[in-house]
Amino acid sequence: GHGSARQVALSPRSRSYGRSCVEPPSLFWQTPGRLTALGQRTPTARGAAKAYNITVRMYTVALLVQNEWKLSYVTPLYRFQYTKLKLYSRHLAAFILAEKQQGVAVEVGMEAGFRVTFSAVFGLAEKEEDAETVFIQIYSKPMFAADTPKMVWRGWLTCVNGDPEYLRSLPPDFVSLPLFCSNGSEYLTARVKSWFGRTFDCSFGSLCLSSATLNWLAALWTGCHPTCDIGYLKLYWSMPTQPTLDVEYTVNPHDAWELWNSICAQDGAEDMVSVEEVQRFMAGLETHLFRHFKIYLSAGSLVKVSTALGSAHQDGKIKIGSSDYITTLLTLLTECALLKTPV
Amino acid sequence: MDGQAKTILQRIIRKIPNKKLEVTLKSWDRLSTEQLESLDCTQPKWLFLENLISRCGEKRLGLKAVTKLEMVYYIDNPNQGTWQAFQLMEAEDDAVSVSFTQFRERFKANLEEDFRHISIRMKKLEDGAIWIRIAWGDNFRKPNHLKPTYVVHYLQTPYVFFLNFMSKHKPFLYEALFRATRHTSIKEAHLSGRSLTALRDLVMRQYQQVFPTKDRTLKERNGTPLHPNIEKEHAEYAERRHQMACEAFGDGILPKLERAVYKLETRYRGNSSNTLNDKDELFRGVVKFSSSNLLQSFHHCVATGIVEGPVTPLLSSITQKGKNYFVITDKVPGATH
Amino acid sequence: MALLTPYSKIPELNTATILLIENEERFQTKLADAIVQQEKDVNVNVRLARKLPLPLENGDSRPRVDLVVFVVSLRSERSLQAVESSLNYLASDYYLGKVCFVVTDARCGTLAQERMLRVRRLAASHHCPVLCAEHQTEEGIAMAAMRLLTILKVSAGLSPMATTALYLSSLTRCAAAPELDDD
Repeated sequence: GHGSARQVALSPRSRSYGRSCVEPPSLFWQTPGRLTALGQRTPTARGAAKAYNITVRMYTVALLVQNEWKLSYVTPLYRFQYTKLKLYSRHLAAFILAEKQQGVAVEVGMEAGFRVTFSAVFGLAEKEEDAETVFIQIYSKPMFAADTPKMVWRGWLTCVNGDPEYLRSLPPDFVSLPLFCSNGSEYLTARVKSWFGRTFDCSFGSLCLSSATLNWLAALWTGCHPTCDIGYLKLYWSMPTQPTLDVEYTVNPHDAWELWNSICAQDGAEDMVSVEEVQRFMAGLETHLFRHFKIYLSAGSLVKVSTALGSAHQDGKIKIGSSDYITTLLTLLTECALLKTPV
Repeated sequence: MDGQAKTILQRIIRKIPNKKLEVTLKSWDRLSTEQLESLDCTQPKWLFLENLISRCGEKRLGLKAVTKLEMVYYIDNPNQGTWQAFQLMEAEDDAVSVSFTQFRERFKANLEEDFRHISIRMKKLEDGAIWIRIAWGDNFRKPNHLKPTYVVHYLQTPYVFFLNFMSKHKPFLYEALFRATRHTSIKEAHLSGRSLTALRDLVMRQYQQVFPTKDRTLKERNGTPLHPNIEKEHAEYAERRHQMACEAFGDGILPKLERAVYKLETRYRGNSSNTLNDKDELFRGVVKFSSSNLLQSFHHCVATGIVEGPVTPLLSSITQKGKNYFVITDKVPGATH
Repeated sequence: MALLTPYSKIPELNTATILLIENEERFQTKLADAIVQQEKDVNVNVRLARKLPLPLENGDSRPRVDLVVFVVSLRSERSLQAVESSLNYLASDYYLGKVCFVVTDARCGTLAQERMLRVRRLAASHHCPVLCAEHQTEEGIAMAAMRLLTILKVSAGLSPMATTALYLSSLTRCAAAPELDDD
C-alpha cells in the first residue's frame, strides 16, 4: 500500500511559498539520514497568531484545552474513512479487551470492558487539504452497571494547515493526520497505536520540539498580547552544569510584548513574522539576562515555553491554555510532525 | 495514650523512614533497652505503630513524650520543609550576656501571657543552637500539634530560623524573641531553603571561603595529569576562572541551597540593535535559578565559562550577603532590600 | 589580529601537531588521550583550546599546527557560536585541507536539525570536512581519534602515499547543496 506514496514524496519538489530548501545530507560525513515528508524544509516566515473562531464545537475544543498532551507523529492512514467511525469504536474496544485478556496487561482493574468513541471534530481544519480532526475517548466499563463509565484515555489526530503540496501528493486512499496527541496511561496509548498500525498500516514516532519551535511559540504567543492577555511569558533553560542548573525567566507580558513590538516595527511586513524577528526577540531576552548575570544561556538549552495560552516542553508535551489561538499552535505542531514523518 | 497523642505519633512514625526508626527511638530515650529490642523496625509501619503504642502504654508515655519524639527527629533531620532566616537588630547592652535559662524563661513567659493554650518545648544542643517547638492554640482551642512552628536560634548571634511559620503568629513570636534575646527589631534575611545547616553556614560564613591572593601557585586540580604530548592552551585562563569561582562561591563542599530568586525592576539592557534601549519604562521579570546544589552549579558555571567572570555582584551576593531573594533596581547597582 | 598560520614554523621530524578547539572542554581531553594513545609511529602533539585566538604568550612554545579541529556540540547554540567566531582567526592557508569539523551529540539530531544544517553550511563554505563523533562511548572516541589521525598525517605531510592535504580535502570536504547559494 505504501509504495506509491513513497515514490511521490521522494520526487524532487519545486520551491514555493518562500521556504528555503536544503538537500538531504551528503553521504560522506554522515550516515544516511532519514527522509521525511517535508525533507528538511523549515519555513522562514509564518503568519502572526490569529484568534480562532470557536463558535463551532465548543464542547470538543474545550476537551482539547483541559489536558496535557503527549505528542507523536503518524504516517498517513490507509483507507481511513470518516463514515466508519462507529465501526472503529467497536473494533478498538474489542482489540483492547482482547489484548488485555491475553495476559499482556499490566493493569488489573475491575472493569468489565471498554467503551470507545471516535468522533470527528469539524472546524479545526483550515485548508481544503486538511483532513478533519478525529477525537478518541476510551471509557472503562465498571463491573456493576450502576456505576458510570470512567474516562481513562483520550487522544486525537489532527492536521491543521498541513503542507498542501505534500497532502495533494498522497494517493487517494490515504488520509494524513500527522499529529497525534494522547493523554492517559502509556499502556492504552501503546494499544491504540498498535491498533491504528494494524488497521491503517501506519506507524507512530515520538515528536520532540526543537528550540527553534519553542522560539516560534514564544514569539507568536507574545504577539497575541494586545488582543488577549497572555498572563506571563515563561522561559525555562537547562544548563549543562554539575549539578544541572535550571533557569526560569518570567517576563511581564506587557514588557515582553513591547520588546516584540519594537522588533517587528523595524520590518514593515504586517501579519507576517520572520524567523529573524523571532531570533532577535529571543536573543534580546537572553541579552537582557546576560547584562545582569553574565550568563550565556545559549550554552544550555531552552526546554520549555509557557504563557496563559499554553505551554510546550522540549520532550513533546503540550498544554493548551486557551482555545483562542489554537490554530496557530496546531499549525506549527502539524508542521513539526510532517518534518519528522518518514516516507 | 489518648487519641490525640496516638494521631500525632502515627503522623511522626509515618514520616520517619524505616532505616532511621531505630536511631530516632534511641535518641528519644523514653523506652527501655528491652522495649527497644522487642520492636522490629522492618515491620510494616502500621504493625510497628501498634507495637510502639503498646510499649508507650507500658511506660505511661503521653502527648508530651510524643512531641519530644518529633523534636528529636527534626533536630537530626531538619530538612522537613522550607526554613526562613531572620536577623535580629538593635541589640540592647545586655544582649551579649543572655543565658539559656534566661532565654527560656523570658520566651515562655512572654508567649504564655499572650496565649492561654500554647505548647512550647525547648532544647539546647551542644553546638549552641536552641531548638524551640511551638504548637499554637488560642483562648478557646487547645494547641494544634499537627502544625507546630519550629524556631532555631543561636545564642549571642542575631540569627533566627523559622519553619512552618504563620504570619498571624508573627507579632507574638517577634515580641517573645525580642524580650528573650534583648533586641528591639527583626528583619527578614531573604534567605530560605530546605537545608537548615546550609542557611546557618551561609549567614555565619561557616564554609570554606577563598580570598583573593596575589601570588597563588598553580595547583593541579584535575586529578589525572595530562599526557606529556598534550598541552592546554588556555590552562591559565581555566585556573583564573576556577579562582574566581572559588572567591565568589567558596571551595570544597558548599552549603546546599536550592534556589535564588531575582525580581528584576530594571530598564531593558540589550544590544544596540534592539530598540527598547531608549525607553524609560522598566522591563519587569523574575529570574529563578534552581539546582540540587545551587552554589555548586554556579561554581561550575564560572569555572567552565558559562558564566563570564569576574562574577557579577548579583550572583556573588548570595554568599557575600547570605541572601537568595533579591529585588534588583537600576538606582543602586547590585542588590537592594 | 593574531592569526594562526600553518607555515610560519619549521616542521619537526616525524612529528604532527593537532589543535582541538572546543568551547565546552568536555570531549577534547578524552579525544586527545585517545589520539596520543593510538598513534605509535608518529610523534603526535595535541594542543587543547577553547577558542581562537590562542594566547599570545604560548606562541613560542607552540609547535607548528598541522590540523585544526573544531568540535561542535549540537546540544548548545553557544558551542556553534564559539566556532563561528573562531574561524576568523585562522590564516586562509589552513582552509586548504588543514581544518576539520567534528560534530558531537548528533544523536539528538531531531532537536538540532537547524544547527546541524548550519554546521554543514559553515563547513561547506570553508571547504572543510565534517565528521560525526559519538563521544559517550570508548569505541566512539577511539573511532573519532582514528579518523582524525588519518587526516592529520596527510595534512602534516607524513602519509606514506603521496597525498596532499589539498587533494584529500577536495575529496572529503562537505558539499553544500547547490540551492544553498541561491537563497
